[in-house]
Amino acid sequence: MRTLRLLTVGGVIAYRALFNWTSPGMFVGTLLVGPLFQLLFFAYLGRELQVGDDRFFIVGNAVLASSLACVFGGTMAIGNERRFGTLGHVLLSPRSRTAVFLGRALPYAGNGLLIAAFTLTGGALLLGLRIPPGALPGMALALTVGSLSCGFFGLALGALGLRFRDIWVISNVSVALMLLLTGVNVPPSALPGWLAAIGQGLPITHAAAAARLLAGGADLTEALRPLGIEVLVGAAWAVLAALLLKVFEVESRRHASLDTL
Amino acid sequence: MIAIGTLLHVKQLSRSGLELTISLFIPIVQATLAVYLFRSGGESHRLLDAAVGAGMMGVWSSVLFGSGGAIQSQRWQGTLEMIMLAPRRPVLVLLPITLATALTGTYALLATLLWGRLLYGIRLDFVHPAAFVAAAPVVILSLGMFGLLLAATFVLLRNANALANTLEYPVWLVSGILVPITVLPTWTTPLAAALPTTWAARALREATAGGPVWPSVGICAGISLICLALGAFALTHVERRARAAATLALA
Repeated sequence: MRTLRLLTVGGVIAYRALFNWTSPGMFVGTLLVGPLFQLLFFAYLGRELQVGDDRFFIVGNAVLASSLACVFGGTMAIGNERRFGTLGHVLLSPRSRTAVFLGRALPYAGNGLLIAAFTLTGGALLLGLRIPPGALPGMALALTVGSLSCGFFGLALGALGLRFRDIWVISNVSVALMLLLTGVNVPPSALPGWLAAIGQGLPITHAAAAARLLAGGADLTEALRPLGIEVLVGAAWAVLAALLLKVFEVESRRHASLDTL
Repeated sequence: MIAIGTLLHVKQLSRSGLELTISLFIPIVQATLAVYLFRSGGESHRLLDAAVGAGMMGVWSSVLFGSGGAIQSQRWQGTLEMIMLAPRRPVLVLLPITLATALTGTYALLATLLWGRLLYGIRLDFVHPAAFVAAAPVVILSLGMFGLLLAATFVLLRNANALANTLEYPVWLVSGILVPITVLPTWTTPLAAALPTTWAARALREATAGGPVWPSVGICAGISLICLALGAFALTHVERRARAAATLALA
């Protein structure tokens, strides 16, 4: 029970701290308007090149929209502790740091879900995509699983912030690669095998596939397989994040490099 | 002064890991994405267009984030007061920064062309190669002048980076960098015509695939000169206001 409280309350407090320096304008501009225009850009490009229909690009980019909040949020959740000089205090805590940091991913995943839902709604309304009402619960599930999986991916990247100084390079590169490798814009069949294989291990890939199936009128049971794989991918990233956090914490204590910027 | 200042800032930007990531790595990823999309769409004969377009996307990102954040980054470095104390007009101090962001954006264009050539065997068969070589620096410097207007406008906004994050995709889209303007809703046409990025992209596309390059270069340079004048006026106004209100160094 105490661990659960640490996970949720700790995460919420850290998330609120983030909003001490950001603002509603920044939230709307960066996290709502930006992904919506990304969706429009690829949807129009897809129309021009006739690579896929509107559903392919709208649903794919809507699921990917959560990556912005999850990847940047995850890296900031840990990297900013170092930047603002509070990392030492967190690591001095007698509670489980794994629980503390895994809890950080949850609000970002929630945030990602909100952004994905907004982007999907906005994209569908602007481009006239009809989604069967019966598909909505399944799609909500796909967006939730994708956001959570991406949240843990962001946390694993954030863990690198304990070891490397420039977390912005890591997060910018990751977001760009997700655009290419998750199959939301380029069908995996069009990518070389090795690039498609990397995409299979990234969050969003399977959630986007499931959401597309559901938006196309498929039954939830048909989407369970990609959703299950997405859950496994997310769990693997969560374990990796916990491991990296542990290893880098021990290393930074040993090398006295905890607050080195 | 502008030349030396630009060189100094290009050197400084070229040592930043984040700048190099934005200018080199991300455009390469975008070029790769564009190549696979164009191939999937059966447009393999337009891969050079895709590489140039991805490079232009990188130039715009560099100008947008570099120029938009030019004053803010001087604030964070604690050098804003010193450069504003210089016995020169603010435009002469800040223009080198925005020109430098455009010039480092050139890395994106070179990287996507080189990447396309080496990895995908894209032949650099420009219809007007000389015009491409001549037009590229002109349009890039023009975007640097446009950057000055961005810098002057963004300084008035406390959360300018939110606006910068918002403007990346819309400008790529409306300027017809990879998506032709003709497939967009008609209400975007006047907006596209007013943006120097539209004419910059068009000039390079015409040099690549054929078409009258110089009118587009001329319009791009003309709009950018207007932006430069507006930016210079805005900067003078902002500087006076910041000095009077003692808010120059406030982030």
